[in-house]
Amino acid sequence: MIDFSALLNWDGLRLTGEGMMMHPGLPDGWVNLIVLSVVLLSLYGILTTAGPQTERRYSLRGLPVSGKLLHRMVTRPWVLLAFRSLFVSIFLLVIISGLFGTPIPERNLATTLTWTIWWTGLIIAVFFFGSAWCAVCPWDVSATWLVRLRLWQRGNNTNSLQLKVPKQLRNIWPATLMFVVLTWLELGYGMTTSPYATALLCLVIVVLALVSQVLYERKAFCRYFCSVGRTIGFYAGLSPVAIRPVDENICLQCKTLECYHGNQTIEPCPTSLVIGRSKQNTFCTSCGACSQSCPYQNVNWGLRNIGSEAIHFIRPHWDEAWFVLVLLSLTAFHGLTMLPGWEQWVSRLAQAIGDSGQLLWSFSIGMILAMLIPMMIYAVVILLLKVAIKSEQEYKRLFALLALPLIPLAFAYHLAHNLNHLFRESIGISAVIMNPLGRDTLPLSGHELHMRHMSPLVPDAWTFAMQAGLIVLGFQLAVRILQNRAAGLPAGYDQIMVKGVMTLLLVSLTLLNVWLLMQPMVMRM
Amino acid sequence: MKLLTLVFFCLLPVSSMAHHVLGRPSYSLGEDSNTPPSMQVETQIGEYYVTYMAFPAFPKPNEPGRLNLYAKRIDNGKSFPGQVTFKVLDDNWFSSKEELLGTQAPDDSVFRQGFVFSKEGDYIIRAEFQDKEPYIIDFPLRIGEPSAIGPLGLTVGLIVVILISVNLTQRRRMQRLQAGRHHAENQHNSP
Repeated sequence: MIDFSALLNWDGLRLTGEGMMMHPGLPDGWVNLIVLSVVLLSLYGILTTAGPQTERRYSLRGLPVSGKLLHRMVTRPWVLLAFRSLFVSIFLLVIISGLFGTPIPERNLATTLTWTIWWTGLIIAVFFFGSAWCAVCPWDVSATWLVRLRLWQRGNNTNSLQLKVPKQLRNIWPATLMFVVLTWLELGYGMTTSPYATALLCLVIVVLALVSQVLYERKAFCRYFCSVGRTIGFYAGLSPVAIRPVDENICLQCKTLECYHGNQTIEPCPTSLVIGRSKQNTFCTSCGACSQSCPYQNVNWGLRNIGSEAIHFIRPHWDEAWFVLVLLSLTAFHGLTMLPGWEQWVSRLAQAIGDSGQLLWSFSIGMILAMLIPMMIYAVVILLLKVAIKSEQEYKRLFALLALPLIPLAFAYHLAHNLNHLFRESIGISAVIMNPLGRDTLPLSGHELHMRHMSPLVPDAWTFAMQAGLIVLGFQLAVRILQNRAAGLPAGYDQIMVKGVMTLLLVSLTLLNVWLLMQPMVMRM
Repeated sequence: MKLLTLVFFCLLPVSSMAHHVLGRPSYSLGEDSNTPPSMQVETQIGEYYVTYMAFPAFPKPNEPGRLNLYAKRIDNGKSFPGQVTFKVLDDNWFSSKEELLGTQAPDDSVFRQGFVFSKEGDYIIRAEFQDKEPYIIDFPLRIGEPSAIGPLGLTVGLIVVILISVNLTQRRRMQRLQAGRHHAENQHNSP
């Protein structure tokens, strides 16, 4: 088996990081299994053709006892209101802790809850609950309550101009920009280590969500501007759960479309979806407006095959393809910045360009390179592919279509990376919950750090198994998406070539992610 | 002659975790954990790695504290042998008040400077030394509790202003629309 960790090991990047607590990297045994699986799946993907377009679905309303309970939960507003109130209360506590609490990050609820629990756990939650987070998102909920001046039911819009979103903004470029800015703040500026700055960020985002609601109709912030929502949206396309009609035929015959327009008491769909005809979760915020307003009570949570939406239904768009590319590159960049050698590289660059202080210029250059290199490689590969297969499809269309298999790669690495943070760094959260402001607390002692390092929530062997499983699952989904999307190309195109070239790209990206997982990673807490 | 200057523009109470990230303050306990924690910043400027430590990490007014500064060359690890001058500035865009804290020679390669501040607030500690070229390094130091009402009050105020402005605008729009409708109806009904 190829020892590519040795091949990819360059000067300084495998330092053990003296004085730093390190997450152990993925062992060679698991890496060998991943590589073997990737090779077999690649061959399978290239040599076989896609099956018929099917998505098996099962509405959770059909479950014996819990189905009825779930049905009541999704058709009545008070359950969601209770959850929203809970999350807004926690959010307010985060702001208060950040502004008034200790600046020691590991002792303050603002930083531990926001960055260690929420930010890492959110991505894991998307797999199990789809876009459910958006339904209780305190940024949007607080803004909505302030604008509508109601806790539930339809507001009278006196606090909103209800303008149409300008055509230039009806895309997810703003969300892409916000994603880049948030990543820069998180990794470059060090937002994750500052309770005060974390609280400020919370306030700024609430103001942004509010401004969007007072200007534009529905929820333009959720649909076009929120990078967290868009990340959840793309990942939710791979989740086995989603809000869907219980019986599609009822929706097909529906003429009133309450799910889209709302009714006298329930708001319209915040992102302008007709849920009965929608097969794509990207913009669904699981807000429950459709399930509450449907006169036939025909909307509920349902189960489906993992990844079936991305395999069959997500419609490719130019701006969304760029978002996926940014997502892919910045998730890998997260891993890169947590390698012990990253700081040395930044330091050397800083010396070369005369940067000082927080070395933000050097960091920014590194971040731009980390984004641009994969994007440029992808752009060139698609260009070459277009020439090689003599495609008559316009470049943008091919670019957007073939970016879809990258979603599961980003999601799988994101999940695998976050497991490390969650299992190792969330220890001690109970003490922070008991004392959210961290009054009279001291920084972590060497002993505490050591104990955290030595006693993760989940044994290392399980974490490694999950990480390996996720990477293989992500690659398998990517291969299936590629198979299906290639099968949808016009007849006459060399599908084997498309699949071969794209598989090579997917393999390279997967190996990069595996290499990142193999490296010992610096603990944040 | 080139003047090397390092300024921490971001004077929020930024802190950091178990390991030191260049340029970000971190909090740590000493070996003797009975002592209060200290705040430490490691960074680089020109030819030097500079480590700055403030003790205690969260000084209060009229409470004595000390600053330790250590500078070593990046190329050969040798400590800076000369003198370092410490100054203090108000961290305020509208104030350029500067006060001399003292000039220190190295004590076991560390430049130690004591301080006592009488007022709460955000300050900048400026360390200056001269090698082949002059070096100026600024570090943030907060005395007392940070002002938390500021951002909260600003946000609440901003939200109230936005909501009132939009509400008024929207009411005027509705009135104009209604007036337009009445006008159209009147025209339609008139003989």
